[in-house]
Amino acid sequence: MNNKKLANPWRASGLKTWLIAFAVVTLLTFPQGCGRGGGGGDKFVIGFSQANKAEPWRTWMDDTLMREAAKHPGLEVRYADAQQDNSKQVADVENFLRQRVDLLIISPNEAKPLTGVVRRVYESGIPVIILDRSIEGDTYTTFIGADNREIGRAAGEYAAELLGRKGNVVELKGLPGSPPAIDRSAGFREAIARFPDIKIVQDPVADWLRDKGREQAEAALRANEQIDLIYAHNDPMGMGAYLAATAMNRASGLKIIGIDGLPGPEGGAKAVLDGKLSATFLYPNCGKEAIETAVKIMNKQEVPKRLTLQTSRITKDNAAQFVGQ
Amino acid sequence: MNSPHSEPAPERKPFKARLSALGGLRLGRVQLGQLKAFLGLIAVVILACVFSPSRRGELIFLDAGNLTDILRQVSERGILAVGMTFVILAAGIDLSVGSVLAFAATLSAVMLMRFGYGTPETVVAVLAAGLLIGLINAAVITMGRIQSFIVTLAMMSAARGAARLVSGGSGVEIGYGPGGAPQSFALLGGKIGEFVPIPALIFLGTVVVAWVVLNKTRFGRYVHAVGSNETASRLSGVSVNKVKFGVFSICSLLAALAGIIHCAQLEQGNPNDGVAYELDAIAAVVIGGTSLSGGTGTVTGTLAGTLIIGVINNILGLNNIDANLQLIFKGAIIVGAVLLQRRNGD
Repeated sequence: MNNKKLANPWRASGLKTWLIAFAVVTLLTFPQGCGRGGGGGDKFVIGFSQANKAEPWRTWMDDTLMREAAKHPGLEVRYADAQQDNSKQVADVENFLRQRVDLLIISPNEAKPLTGVVRRVYESGIPVIILDRSIEGDTYTTFIGADNREIGRAAGEYAAELLGRKGNVVELKGLPGSPPAIDRSAGFREAIARFPDIKIVQDPVADWLRDKGREQAEAALRANEQIDLIYAHNDPMGMGAYLAATAMNRASGLKIIGIDGLPGPEGGAKAVLDGKLSATFLYPNCGKEAIETAVKIMNKQEVPKRLTLQTSRITKDNAAQFVGQ
Repeated sequence: MNSPHSEPAPERKPFKARLSALGGLRLGRVQLGQLKAFLGLIAVVILACVFSPSRRGELIFLDAGNLTDILRQVSERGILAVGMTFVILAAGIDLSVGSVLAFAATLSAVMLMRFGYGTPETVVAVLAAGLLIGLINAAVITMGRIQSFIVTLAMMSAARGAARLVSGGSGVEIGYGPGGAPQSFALLGGKIGEFVPIPALIFLGTVVVAWVVLNKTRFGRYVHAVGSNETASRLSGVSVNKVKFGVFSICSLLAALAGIIHCAQLEQGNPNDGVAYELDAIAAVVIGGTSLSGGTGTVTGTLAGTLIIGVINNILGLNNIDANLQLIFKGAIIVGAVLLQRRNGD
């Protein structure tokens, strides 16, 4: 009202403005919007709801799953990234339910908030495959995941082997309270409990992070003259420990064990190949197994309620094959 | 009042607009703005129909289940947006609502699960806590004469901290049955029959109440007046501080209500939830035609703005469009909506 004097390019006639708005929105939506059938025609449609794309391990899972799915021309995968938001993941799954996908694959952001909507999908007759983190109850077809306690145990046994059953260990822990941190710690301690001469002299928390891993490893190395092995709950913290040890000239003779074993130039497998980590233990991504299970379900074959994936020990001898996966 | 400006004075409106705002005779422009938000909603709905995937010849978008899904999905942010409408109409802003939602959700879960309170006590206590936060915001804004942007930015941090304190940092999960939460709490996030989500009903209820308060009460007229021109309102005998206490209390109270619903819907009170919800609420208010400089706008416009965002998110989701693209799209819509509003010369 008060600035009517100003020339305003937007003061076109109402109809015209709305036509422009309509056209813009139409153009923006067009490439994706056209020709999508809800039922996906003859194809077997999988809705894949991923908790987030921010963790490298999850993008690796996505890549593996998509690559595996591409091998089956009868499959169509629709992907939704919940961006670490429980509410968004609930909406994503609801969308898949409305589209009546033939199968739901979900890696929940958290168990409890996703339990209700997954139950609704399952009870409506759509099979559900859950990856990595489970939901409460058993309203799903198959759960696929690795056993962190088992991985921790494998790491502990290998640590004992490397140390010759004797030595001082620093444990770098993941985020307090997070299930993988709890299980990776418990498994490791179970395994080394049989060797009274192996001592955990310090077990600081480094929140899964490389920079915190470096800080905490520095402090531990400074506080203890003799450290023989550092066990990190994931590779980035292990890399932090490696950086700390080299900067302090304590790297020679020091063994560092990580977990995850991601491929690619930034991954743990490459760090083992380069001799920065002594070993890492693969935390298998469930992408390949998810599609294999989906195909079985599509062909009306029996699938197990729970599929536990095995870890692999990655050392310098076999690291090359894991870098390229 | 002796303080000439507790907030920077919004741009001066011509006397006529001031007069009509004070008298509640808001004709022409405001109603037009309201209409426009609904025209926008209609346009978005038509587009959604055009681009809706279909199943067996029926549009999935128009499926009754899908439409009520949308209502349910927008209800929490919608309730925040209704509260935000009051604050923005009075030419303020409240950045703390996302954190207050997280605090309220966490407090609800802690009271139900760790202290064993029933549903009514929990709801009343959490709403009271929300009200208290609003009163603190308003007290600091009026007595400290600090801009609401700064004060609520501080509260955004403080409420997040309080949420983490009461829970000990991690999420508190709701379990029902003996030793857990009473079943009645589940109702708040549940459904009536197959299709009517209770959170959506609560959201629509707040819209109706807010409409009555803003249009049929003296307080409502004062809110518009203060937003149009604070100094003129003060000179006309309006207690500007009382109005500010009112709007910030309403906003935080509604944020607490949204938090209770959030907790019931996700069966969890997580202190890290609700991040950036305040921006969604502000976006809904602005898309609904309420001017950020205060004074003009409607809560029905906010309803339309909330639904526009909900429908767009839904149709992008139904078409499986990349989540990052969705964010960009939402940004474009906000700017587009404001450009269209400006045509009317606010």
